[in-house]
Amino acid sequence: MQVIHDIEITTTSVLLDGKTIAVEQTGDKLLVELYRRYAGDYPKFFKMDTLSRLGFIAAELLLKQSAISDQQLVDAVILANRSASIKNDTDYLATITEGNYYPSPALFVYTLPNIVTGEIAIRHHIQGETSFYILNSPEQLKPIVASTLTAKHSTALVGWCECSKQDNFYAKMQLIWRN
Amino acid sequence: MEKLIEQLKAQIIEALNFEDMTPADIDTDAPLFGEGLGLDSIDALELIMLMDREYGIKLSDPKAGKAVFQSVRTMAEYIQANRTK
Repeated sequence: MQVIHDIEITTTSVLLDGKTIAVEQTGDKLLVELYRRYAGDYPKFFKMDTLSRLGFIAAELLLKQSAISDQQLVDAVILANRSASIKNDTDYLATITEGNYYPSPALFVYTLPNIVTGEIAIRHHIQGETSFYILNSPEQLKPIVASTLTAKHSTALVGWCECSKQDNFYAKMQLIWRN
Repeated sequence: MEKLIEQLKAQIIEALNFEDMTPADIDTDAPLFGEGLGLDSIDALELIMLMDREYGIKLSDPKAGKAVFQSVRTMAEYIQANRTK
């Protein structure tokens, strides 16, 4: 496997291909700052939960680094984390607590962690494999990626995409190529 | 009615998380779905919840919903005629 591009996003920093991207905001507002700077043409971003925003922005920055032809060749999106969609699940639960029974459909649709892979696939017209695994550590994802990406000369967005609570997230994603 | 329309626009922006939008950006008579605001089916559910939560209106007839959600003005007119709170 060859890493074409990689990105690391924390609540206070962004590292793209080893170079720091200067940012002004922190926490959830950092993702909005990155959206406005690097995307800006996809209003559905504002309807996404934090986990989806995180994966969406990471994918956006990774694929912007690539030539357009690379984007057309992305065959799979394979992500993982430890906390599934717990932050959004908690937000949704708050809408159905006793005495306040107004369940939010917009929150409900994000009560699955694999929605982030779908959002990325829709945005970039990726029609191949998409999957999201709940694992204890990023290391456990490597054999899964190796067994999924079996075809030579195939490209995939892979990595760790974690959001356990508000203003607490971490992503380390890569655009990889199987040579 | 105008006061209700402005209040409704603000509630729609908050319910649908239109962070870049102000009430002035919403055309009172523009279609809510398809063209205009371009809302989808999940947004429709949010609007149904909004009418229940804020105005005590339970919209259970899908045929009625199509007419009610034509625009912000049709929503406001329905709310004014049917609100229980």
